[in-house]
Amino acid sequence: MISCRDFITELGSLLDDDVASEIREQLEAHLAHCSTCQVLYDSTRKTLRIVTESGSFEYPEPISEPLVSKVMDRIRSWEPDDPVRK
Amino acid sequence: MGFLAEVDEGLSAENLATLKRNFGLAPRVYHAQMLRPDLVEAQVELLEKLLFNKGALSRVQKEFILLTVSAANDNSYFPALHCQTLQFLGVKAEQSQQVLIDHHGANLSDADVALLDFARRLAAKGRSFTDLDVESLRRSNFNDEQILEAVLMVGLTQLLNCIQMGLGTEPDFKPRIVFPLKELNPPVAPERQMIEPELADDFVADDPDLEIVARVQNGETEAFEELVRKHGRRVYRSLLGIVGSAEEAEDALQDAFLKAFQHLSRFEGRSRFSTWLVRIAINTGLQRVRSRKEFDSLDEENEEFRPRNIQAWTDTPEDCYSREELKRLVEREVMKLPGKYRVALMLRDLEELSTEEAAATLGLSVPGLKARVLRGRLMLRESMVQYFSKAGAGKS
Repeated sequence: MISCRDFITELGSLLDDDVASEIREQLEAHLAHCSTCQVLYDSTRKTLRIVTESGSFEYPEPISEPLVSKVMDRIRSWEPDDPVRK
Repeated sequence: MGFLAEVDEGLSAENLATLKRNFGLAPRVYHAQMLRPDLVEAQVELLEKLLFNKGALSRVQKEFILLTVSAANDNSYFPALHCQTLQFLGVKAEQSQQVLIDHHGANLSDADVALLDFARRLAAKGRSFTDLDVESLRRSNFNDEQILEAVLMVGLTQLLNCIQMGLGTEPDFKPRIVFPLKELNPPVAPERQMIEPELADDFVADDPDLEIVARVQNGETEAFEELVRKHGRRVYRSLLGIVGSAEEAEDALQDAFLKAFQHLSRFEGRSRFSTWLVRIAINTGLQRVRSRKEFDSLDEENEEFRPRNIQAWTDTPEDCYSREELKRLVEREVMKLPGKYRVALMLRDLEELSTEEAAATLGLSVPGLKARVLRGRLMLRESMVQYFSKAGAGKS
Protein backbone atom coordinates (compact mmCIF):
# COMPACT_ATOMS: atom_id res chain seq x y z
CA MET A 1 0.00 0.00 0.00
CA ILE A 2 1.49 3.35 -0.91
CA SER A 3 1.61 6.38 1.36
CA CYS A 4 0.36 9.93 0.75
CA ARG A 5 3.98 10.97 0.30
CA ASP A 6 4.47 8.37 -2.47
CA PHE A 7 1.24 9.56 -4.04
CA ILE A 8 2.44 13.16 -4.14
CA THR A 9 5.76 12.09 -5.65
CA GLU A 10 3.90 10.38 -8.50
CA LEU A 11 1.23 13.06 -8.82
CA GLY A 12 3.02 14.92 -11.63
CA SER A 13 3.29 11.77 -13.75
CA LEU A 14 -0.33 10.93 -13.04
CA LEU A 15 -1.41 14.40 -14.21
CA ASP A 16 0.66 13.95 -17.36
CA ASP A 17 -0.85 10.51 -17.89
CA ASP A 18 2.65 9.13 -17.91
CA VAL A 19 2.58 6.26 -15.40
CA ALA A 20 3.02 2.55 -15.92
CA SER A 21 -0.22 0.64 -15.46
CA GLU A 22 0.90 -1.16 -12.29
CA ILE A 23 1.78 2.15 -10.65
CA ARG A 24 -1.47 3.69 -11.81
CA GLU A 25 -3.37 0.86 -10.14
CA GLN A 26 -1.55 1.53 -6.89
CA LEU A 27 -2.24 5.26 -7.12
CA GLU A 28 -5.90 4.66 -7.85
CA ALA A 29 -6.12 2.22 -4.96
CA HIS A 30 -4.68 4.92 -2.71
CA LEU A 31 -7.12 7.52 -4.04
CA ALA A 32 -10.06 5.23 -3.36
CA HIS A 33 -9.55 5.44 0.38
CA CYS A 34 -7.68 8.75 0.93
CA SER A 35 -9.93 11.79 0.77
CA THR A 36 -7.00 14.22 1.26
CA CYS A 37 -5.22 12.96 -1.84
CA GLN A 38 -8.52 12.89 -3.72
CA VAL A 39 -8.94 16.61 -3.06
CA LEU A 40 -5.31 17.30 -3.89
CA TYR A 41 -5.51 15.39 -7.17
CA ASP A 42 -8.83 16.93 -8.16
CA SER A 43 -7.82 20.52 -7.39
CA THR A 44 -4.40 20.22 -9.04
CA ARG A 45 -6.01 18.75 -12.15
CA LYS A 46 -8.47 21.64 -12.22
CA THR A 47 -5.65 24.13 -11.68
CA LEU A 48 -3.92 22.77 -14.77
CA ARG A 49 -7.12 22.91 -16.78
CA ILE A 50 -7.65 26.54 -15.81
CA VAL A 51 -4.04 27.45 -16.60
CA THR A 52 -4.04 25.85 -20.03
CA GLU A 53 -7.49 27.02 -21.05
CA SER A 54 -7.57 30.54 -19.66
CA GLY A 55 -5.69 32.14 -22.56
CA SER A 56 -3.32 33.64 -20.01
CA PHE A 57 -0.23 35.50 -21.16
CA GLU A 58 -1.79 36.25 -24.51
CA TYR A 59 -0.81 39.70 -25.59
CA PRO A 60 -4.20 41.34 -26.18
CA GLU A 61 -3.31 42.98 -29.45
CA PRO A 62 -0.48 43.09 -31.99
CA ILE A 63 2.72 44.38 -30.45
CA SER A 64 2.98 48.16 -30.44
CA GLU A 65 4.37 50.13 -33.36
CA PRO A 66 7.19 51.66 -31.28
CA LEU A 67 8.28 48.14 -30.31
CA VAL A 68 8.23 46.95 -33.92
CA SER A 69 10.33 50.02 -34.82
CA LYS A 70 12.84 49.28 -32.09
CA VAL A 71 13.27 45.73 -33.32
CA MET A 72 13.69 46.82 -36.92
CA ASP A 73 16.14 49.59 -35.97
CA ARG A 74 18.35 47.06 -34.22
CA ILE A 75 18.16 44.71 -37.17
CA ARG A 76 19.02 47.43 -39.68
CA SER A 77 22.00 48.56 -37.64
CA TRP A 78 23.36 45.05 -37.15
CA GLU A 79 26.44 44.49 -39.27
CA PRO A 80 26.87 41.03 -40.75
CA ASP A 81 30.53 41.26 -39.78
CA ASP A 82 29.50 41.40 -36.18
CA PRO A 83 31.53 38.79 -34.28
CA VAL A 84 28.32 37.00 -33.30
CA ARG A 85 28.05 35.66 -36.81
CA LYS A 86 30.27 32.83 -37.82
CA MET B 1 25.30 -12.01 -19.55
CA GLY B 2 25.54 -9.60 -22.41
CA PHE B 3 24.35 -10.24 -25.94
CA LEU B 4 27.78 -11.27 -27.27
CA ALA B 5 30.36 -13.50 -25.59
CA GLU B 6 32.75 -11.76 -23.22
CA VAL B 7 36.37 -12.82 -23.67
CA ASP B 8 39.00 -12.11 -21.04
CA GLU B 9 42.01 -12.59 -23.32
CA GLY B 10 43.32 -10.54 -26.17
CA LEU B 11 43.93 -7.02 -24.84
CA SER B 12 47.46 -5.77 -25.28
CA ALA B 13 49.43 -5.54 -22.05
CA GLU B 14 49.74 -1.80 -22.54
CA ASN B 15 46.02 -1.17 -22.90
CA LEU B 16 45.20 -3.55 -20.10
CA ALA B 17 47.53 -1.52 -17.90
CA THR B 18 45.89 1.75 -18.99
CA LEU B 19 42.42 0.46 -18.14
CA LYS B 20 43.51 -1.00 -14.81
CA ARG B 21 45.29 2.18 -13.85
CA ASN B 22 42.18 4.24 -14.50
CA PHE B 23 39.34 1.91 -13.61
CA GLY B 24 41.03 -0.60 -11.32
CA LEU B 25 39.96 -3.29 -13.80
CA ALA B 26 39.36 -3.89 -17.50
CA PRO B 27 35.63 -3.12 -17.84
CA ARG B 28 33.35 -5.80 -19.24
CA VAL B 29 32.21 -3.59 -22.09
CA TYR B 30 35.67 -4.06 -23.65
CA HIS B 31 35.75 -7.81 -23.03
CA ALA B 32 32.50 -7.94 -24.99
CA GLN B 33 34.16 -6.52 -28.08
CA MET B 34 37.08 -8.94 -28.37
CA LEU B 35 35.94 -10.22 -31.76
CA ARG B 36 37.69 -7.07 -32.98
CA PRO B 37 40.62 -6.44 -30.62
CA ASP B 38 41.93 -3.78 -33.01
CA LEU B 39 38.80 -1.69 -32.41
CA VAL B 40 39.12 -2.10 -28.66
CA GLU B 41 42.69 -0.87 -28.90
CA ALA B 42 41.51 2.17 -30.86
CA GLN B 43 38.85 2.95 -28.23
CA VAL B 44 41.30 2.65 -25.36
CA GLU B 45 43.65 4.97 -27.18
CA LEU B 46 40.84 7.50 -27.64
CA LEU B 47 39.90 7.19 -23.98
CA GLU B 48 43.49 7.77 -22.96
CA LYS B 49 44.04 10.77 -25.21
CA LEU B 50 40.72 12.46 -24.64
CA LEU B 51 39.71 11.52 -21.12
CA PHE B 52 42.64 10.18 -19.10
CA ASN B 53 45.41 12.47 -20.28
CA LYS B 54 45.68 16.04 -19.13
CA GLY B 55 43.87 18.36 -21.49
CA ALA B 56 42.34 21.82 -21.54
CA LEU B 57 39.49 20.68 -19.33
CA SER B 58 40.26 19.01 -16.01
CA ARG B 59 39.82 15.27 -15.71
CA VAL B 60 36.96 15.77 -13.24
CA GLN B 61 35.16 18.15 -15.62
CA LYS B 62 35.41 15.53 -18.35
CA GLU B 63 34.23 12.75 -16.05
CA PHE B 64 31.26 14.89 -15.02
CA ILE B 65 30.35 15.40 -18.69
CA LEU B 66 30.40 11.64 -19.08
CA LEU B 67 28.13 11.23 -16.05
CA THR B 68 25.61 13.85 -17.00
CA VAL B 69 25.32 12.72 -20.63
CA SER B 70 25.00 9.06 -19.55
CA ALA B 71 22.24 10.12 -17.16
CA ALA B 72 20.48 11.94 -19.99
CA ASN B 73 20.66 8.68 -21.96
CA ASP B 74 19.32 6.69 -18.98
CA ASN B 75 22.54 4.69 -19.08
CA SER B 76 23.43 3.15 -15.72
CA TYR B 77 26.51 1.19 -16.77
CA PHE B 78 29.02 4.01 -17.23
CA PRO B 79 27.93 6.04 -14.19
CA ALA B 80 28.52 2.92 -12.04
CA LEU B 81 32.01 2.56 -13.49
CA HIS B 82 32.98 6.22 -13.49
CA CYS B 83 31.65 7.05 -10.04
CA GLN B 84 34.29 4.59 -8.81
CA THR B 85 36.92 6.34 -10.92
CA LEU B 86 35.85 9.69 -9.54
CA GLN B 87 36.32 8.36 -6.03
CA PHE B 88 39.94 7.52 -6.96
CA LEU B 89 40.20 11.15 -8.08
CA GLY B 90 38.97 12.39 -4.72
CA VAL B 91 35.38 13.25 -5.67
CA LYS B 92 32.89 12.16 -3.04
CA ALA B 93 30.28 9.62 -4.10
CA GLU B 94 27.50 11.97 -2.97
CA GLN B 95 28.66 14.67 -5.36
CA SER B 96 28.85 12.27 -8.30
CA GLN B 97 25.36 11.00 -7.46
CA GLN B 98 24.04 14.55 -7.42
CA VAL B 99 25.58 15.24 -10.84
CA LEU B 100 23.67 12.20 -12.08
CA ILE B 101 20.39 13.36 -10.61
CA ASP B 102 20.69 17.07 -11.30
CA HIS B 103 24.04 18.80 -11.55
CA HIS B 104 22.50 22.12 -10.52
CA GLY B 105 22.41 20.84 -6.96
CA ALA B 106 25.91 19.36 -6.96
CA ASN B 107 27.75 22.30 -5.45
CA LEU B 108 29.66 23.03 -8.64
CA SER B 109 31.07 26.37 -9.73
CA ASP B 110 28.85 28.46 -12.04
CA ALA B 111 31.26 27.72 -14.89
CA ASP B 112 31.00 23.95 -14.35
CA VAL B 113 27.21 24.18 -14.20
CA ALA B 114 27.30 26.02 -17.55
CA LEU B 115 29.61 23.33 -18.94
CA LEU B 116 27.24 20.53 -17.96
CA ASP B 117 24.20 22.48 -19.21
CA PHE B 118 26.03 22.74 -22.52
CA ALA B 119 26.81 19.01 -22.58
CA ARG B 120 23.20 18.08 -21.88
CA ARG B 121 21.87 20.41 -24.54
CA LEU B 122 24.26 19.00 -27.09
CA ALA B 123 23.40 15.43 -26.12
CA ALA B 124 19.66 15.89 -26.02
CA LYS B 125 18.93 18.50 -28.63
CA GLY B 126 21.61 18.03 -31.25
CA ARG B 127 19.51 19.37 -34.06
CA SER B 128 18.60 22.66 -32.46
CA PHE B 129 22.01 23.19 -30.93
CA THR B 130 23.39 26.49 -32.22
CA ASP B 131 26.34 28.81 -31.83
CA LEU B 132 24.35 30.49 -29.04
CA ASP B 133 25.13 27.44 -26.94
CA VAL B 134 28.82 27.82 -27.71
CA GLU B 135 28.57 31.51 -26.89
CA SER B 136 27.14 30.66 -23.49
CA LEU B 137 30.34 28.69 -22.72
CA ARG B 138 32.55 31.51 -23.94
CA ARG B 139 30.67 33.83 -21.61
CA SER B 140 31.62 31.49 -18.77
CA ASN B 141 35.26 31.99 -19.81
CA PHE B 142 35.84 28.66 -21.52
CA ASN B 143 38.33 28.87 -24.37
CA ASP B 144 37.88 27.17 -27.71
CA GLU B 145 40.13 24.25 -26.88
CA GLN B 146 38.06 23.54 -23.80
CA ILE B 147 34.86 23.84 -25.83
CA LEU B 148 36.25 21.37 -28.35
CA GLU B 149 37.08 18.89 -25.60
CA ALA B 150 33.59 19.30 -24.15
CA VAL B 151 32.04 18.53 -27.53
CA LEU B 152 34.30 15.51 -28.00
CA MET B 153 33.48 14.23 -24.51
CA VAL B 154 29.76 14.38 -25.31
CA GLY B 155 30.49 12.45 -28.51
CA LEU B 156 32.62 9.88 -26.70
CA THR B 157 29.93 9.34 -24.10
CA GLN B 158 27.29 8.82 -26.77
CA LEU B 159 29.57 6.24 -28.44
CA LEU B 160 30.23 4.40 -25.19
CA ASN B 161 26.58 4.43 -24.15
CA CYS B 162 25.55 3.11 -27.54
CA ILE B 163 28.13 0.31 -27.47
CA GLN B 164 27.08 -0.83 -24.01
CA MET B 165 23.39 -0.76 -24.88
CA GLY B 166 23.94 -2.60 -28.14
CA LEU B 167 26.00 -5.30 -26.44
CA GLY B 168 23.82 -5.52 -23.34
CA THR B 169 26.84 -5.41 -21.06
CA GLU B 170 26.03 -5.80 -17.40
CA PRO B 171 27.65 -3.46 -14.90
CA ASP B 172 31.07 -4.10 -13.42
CA PHE B 173 29.90 -2.52 -10.19
CA LYS B 174 26.43 -2.41 -8.76
CA PRO B 175 24.99 0.89 -9.99
CA ARG B 176 23.97 3.21 -7.19
CA ILE B 177 21.34 4.70 -9.41
CA VAL B 178 19.44 2.61 -11.90
CA PHE B 179 17.32 4.89 -13.97
CA PRO B 180 13.75 4.18 -13.01
CA LEU B 181 11.57 1.66 -14.79
CA LYS B 182 14.00 1.19 -17.62
CA GLU B 183 16.79 -0.88 -16.12
CA LEU B 184 20.01 -1.19 -17.96
CA ASN B 185 18.83 -2.07 -21.42
CA PRO B 186 15.44 -0.61 -22.10
CA PRO B 187 13.83 -2.56 -24.96
CA VAL B 188 12.56 0.74 -26.30
CA ALA B 189 12.25 3.93 -24.32
CA PRO B 190 9.12 5.42 -25.89
CA GLU B 191 9.38 8.80 -24.21
CA ARG B 192 12.86 9.33 -25.56
CA GLN B 193 12.22 10.67 -29.00
CA MET B 194 14.69 9.65 -31.66
CA ILE B 195 13.55 12.46 -33.91
CA GLU B 196 13.34 16.05 -32.80
CA PRO B 197 9.73 17.06 -32.28
CA GLU B 198 10.04 19.72 -34.93
CA LEU B 199 10.47 17.01 -37.53
CA ALA B 200 7.29 15.34 -36.47
CA ASP B 201 5.30 18.42 -37.42
CA ASP B 202 3.05 17.24 -40.21
CA PHE B 203 2.46 20.67 -41.57
CA VAL B 204 6.00 21.86 -42.08
CA ALA B 205 5.47 21.69 -45.83
CA ASP B 206 2.68 24.24 -45.47
CA ASP B 207 4.56 26.74 -43.32
CA PRO B 208 2.97 30.05 -44.35
CA ASP B 209 6.10 31.99 -43.35
CA LEU B 210 8.51 30.24 -45.68
CA GLU B 211 8.06 32.73 -48.49
CA ILE B 212 8.85 35.75 -46.31
CA VAL B 213 11.74 33.91 -44.68
CA ALA B 214 13.20 33.18 -48.11
CA ARG B 215 12.92 36.85 -49.06
CA VAL B 216 14.81 37.89 -45.93
CA GLN B 217 17.40 35.17 -46.52
CA ASN B 218 17.92 36.65 -49.98
CA GLY B 219 18.74 40.02 -48.53
CA GLU B 220 15.38 41.75 -48.27
CA THR B 221 15.82 42.85 -44.66
CA GLU B 222 12.64 44.96 -44.57
CA ALA B 223 10.48 41.87 -45.15
CA PHE B 224 11.46 40.75 -41.64
CA GLU B 225 9.13 43.41 -40.25
CA GLU B 226 6.16 41.31 -41.36
CA LEU B 227 7.47 38.40 -39.28
CA VAL B 228 7.91 40.69 -36.26
CA ARG B 229 4.31 41.92 -36.54
CA LYS B 230 2.93 38.48 -37.12
CA HIS B 231 4.77 36.62 -34.34
CA GLY B 232 5.43 39.42 -31.88
CA ARG B 233 2.48 38.50 -29.65
CA ARG B 234 3.49 34.87 -29.47
CA VAL B 235 7.12 35.70 -28.68
CA TYR B 236 6.05 38.23 -26.08
CA ARG B 237 3.87 35.68 -24.36
CA SER B 238 6.71 33.15 -24.05
CA LEU B 239 9.05 35.80 -22.74
CA LEU B 240 6.63 37.32 -20.25
CA GLY B 241 6.09 33.96 -18.58
CA ILE B 242 9.82 33.37 -18.30
CA VAL B 243 11.24 36.76 -17.36
CA GLY B 244 8.25 37.79 -15.28
CA SER B 245 7.88 41.51 -16.08
CA ALA B 246 6.40 43.36 -19.03
CA GLU B 247 9.31 45.75 -19.34
CA GLU B 248 11.93 43.04 -19.43
CA ALA B 249 9.80 40.97 -21.80
CA GLU B 250 9.86 43.87 -24.28
CA ASP B 251 13.66 44.11 -24.06
CA ALA B 252 14.03 40.37 -24.45
CA LEU B 253 11.67 40.43 -27.42
CA GLN B 254 14.04 42.76 -29.23
CA ASP B 255 16.98 40.48 -28.44
CA ALA B 256 15.07 37.41 -29.58
CA PHE B 257 14.09 38.87 -32.95
CA LEU B 258 17.60 40.16 -33.51
CA LYS B 259 19.01 36.69 -32.79
CA ALA B 260 16.47 35.10 -35.10
CA PHE B 261 17.50 37.51 -37.84
CA GLN B 262 21.20 36.87 -37.25
CA HIS B 263 20.69 33.11 -37.45
CA LEU B 264 18.13 33.06 -40.21
CA SER B 265 20.65 31.68 -42.68
CA ARG B 266 20.70 28.52 -40.52
CA PHE B 267 16.95 28.08 -40.71
CA GLU B 268 16.32 25.24 -43.13
CA GLY B 269 12.60 24.69 -42.77
CA ARG B 270 12.97 21.48 -40.75
CA SER B 271 10.48 22.95 -38.32
CA ARG B 272 7.91 25.65 -38.72
CA PHE B 273 9.45 29.08 -38.60
CA SER B 274 7.19 29.99 -35.66
CA THR B 275 8.38 26.93 -33.68
CA TRP B 276 11.99 27.81 -34.37
CA LEU B 277 11.41 31.43 -33.39
CA VAL B 278 9.71 30.51 -30.11
CA ARG B 279 12.66 28.23 -29.20
CA ILE B 280 14.98 31.19 -29.70
CA ALA B 281 12.70 33.36 -27.57
CA ILE B 282 12.63 30.79 -24.78
CA ASN B 283 16.43 30.53 -24.76
CA THR B 284 16.74 34.31 -24.78
CA GLY B 285 14.41 34.60 -21.80
CA LEU B 286 16.26 31.83 -19.97
CA GLN B 287 19.61 33.51 -20.45
CA ARG B 288 18.18 36.51 -18.63
CA VAL B 289 16.69 34.64 -15.70
CA ARG B 290 19.61 32.24 -15.28
CA SER B 291 21.74 35.06 -14.01
CA ARG B 292 19.33 35.61 -11.13
CA LYS B 293 20.35 33.97 -7.89
CA GLU B 294 16.98 32.47 -7.06
CA PHE B 295 16.86 30.63 -10.33
CA ASP B 296 19.23 27.78 -9.72
CA SER B 297 19.26 27.74 -5.97
CA LEU B 298 18.27 24.42 -4.58
CA ASP B 299 17.67 25.30 -0.96
CA GLU B 300 13.91 24.87 -1.19
CA GLU B 301 14.13 21.81 -3.38
CA ASN B 302 15.86 19.78 -0.74
CA GLU B 303 12.96 20.25 1.60
CA GLU B 304 9.93 18.18 1.03
CA PHE B 305 6.99 20.22 -0.19
CA ARG B 306 3.92 19.61 1.91
CA PRO B 307 0.70 20.73 0.28
CA ARG B 308 -1.57 22.72 2.56
CA ASN B 309 -5.08 24.12 2.18
CA ILE B 310 -6.65 20.84 1.26
CA GLN B 311 -10.20 22.02 0.62
CA ALA B 312 -12.60 20.59 -1.94
CA TRP B 313 -13.09 22.67 -5.08
CA THR B 314 -16.30 23.37 -6.93
CA ASP B 315 -17.03 21.05 -9.84
CA THR B 316 -16.61 23.65 -12.57
CA PRO B 317 -14.28 26.32 -11.22
CA GLU B 318 -14.14 27.98 -14.65
CA ASP B 319 -17.75 29.07 -14.21
CA CYS B 320 -17.00 31.14 -11.10
CA TYR B 321 -15.39 33.96 -13.04
CA SER B 322 -15.54 35.60 -16.44
CA ARG B 323 -12.95 34.57 -18.97
CA GLU B 324 -11.17 37.88 -18.57
CA GLU B 325 -11.11 37.56 -14.76
CA LEU B 326 -9.74 34.03 -15.03
CA LYS B 327 -6.99 35.10 -17.39
CA ARG B 328 -5.85 37.87 -15.05
CA LEU B 329 -6.09 35.69 -12.01
CA VAL B 330 -3.92 32.97 -13.57
CA GLU B 331 -1.37 35.51 -14.78
CA ARG B 332 -1.19 37.16 -11.38
CA GLU B 333 -0.72 33.90 -9.48
CA VAL B 334 1.74 32.37 -11.98
CA MET B 335 3.87 35.50 -11.76
CA LYS B 336 4.06 35.13 -7.98
CA LEU B 337 5.74 31.71 -8.25
CA PRO B 338 9.51 31.60 -7.66
CA GLY B 339 11.33 31.85 -11.02
CA LYS B 340 12.61 28.32 -11.30
CA TYR B 341 9.19 26.77 -10.70
CA ARG B 342 7.42 29.33 -12.86
CA VAL B 343 9.70 28.68 -15.81
CA ALA B 344 9.41 24.89 -15.53
CA LEU B 345 5.63 25.18 -15.36
CA MET B 346 5.50 27.66 -18.25
CA LEU B 347 7.54 25.41 -20.53
CA ARG B 348 5.49 22.30 -19.77
CA ASP B 349 1.99 23.63 -19.28
CA LEU B 350 1.83 26.79 -21.39
CA GLU B 351 4.45 26.25 -24.08
CA GLU B 352 3.55 22.57 -24.03
CA LEU B 353 7.07 21.30 -24.49
CA SER B 354 7.53 17.59 -23.78
CA THR B 355 9.19 16.69 -20.49
CA GLU B 356 12.39 15.77 -22.34
CA GLU B 357 12.44 18.98 -24.35
CA ALA B 358 11.79 21.11 -21.29
CA ALA B 359 14.51 19.28 -19.34
CA ALA B 360 17.01 19.75 -22.16
CA THR B 361 16.07 23.41 -22.56
CA LEU B 362 16.69 24.03 -18.87
CA GLY B 363 19.73 21.76 -18.66
CA LEU B 364 18.01 19.59 -16.06
CA SER B 365 17.65 15.84 -15.75
CA VAL B 366 14.17 14.53 -16.53
CA PRO B 367 13.47 13.70 -12.85
CA GLY B 368 14.79 17.15 -11.85
CA LEU B 369 12.49 18.85 -14.33
CA LYS B 370 9.50 16.76 -13.27
CA ALA B 371 10.10 17.68 -9.64
CA ARG B 372 10.17 21.38 -10.46
CA VAL B 373 7.04 21.23 -12.60
CA LEU B 374 5.17 19.37 -9.89
CA ARG B 375 6.29 21.83 -7.23
CA GLY B 376 5.16 24.71 -9.46
CA ARG B 377 1.77 23.10 -10.06
CA LEU B 378 1.24 22.40 -6.36
CA MET B 379 2.23 25.92 -5.36
CA LEU B 380 -0.10 27.35 -7.97
CA ARG B 381 -2.91 25.09 -6.80
CA GLU B 382 -2.40 26.31 -3.28
CA SER B 383 -2.63 29.95 -4.30
CA MET B 384 -5.84 29.22 -6.21
CA VAL B 385 -7.67 27.53 -3.33
CA GLN B 386 -9.00 30.90 -2.16
CA TYR B 387 -10.77 31.45 -5.48
CA PHE B 388 -12.04 28.00 -6.30
CA SER B 389 -12.72 26.11 -3.09
CA LYS B 390 -16.37 25.46 -2.33
CA ALA B 391 -16.08 28.03 0.46
CA GLY B 392 -14.25 30.71 -1.50
CA ALA B 393 -15.47 30.34 -5.08
CA GLY B 394 -16.46 33.49 -6.91
CA LYS B 395 -14.60 35.91 -4.65
CA SER B 396 -11.67 37.70 -6.23
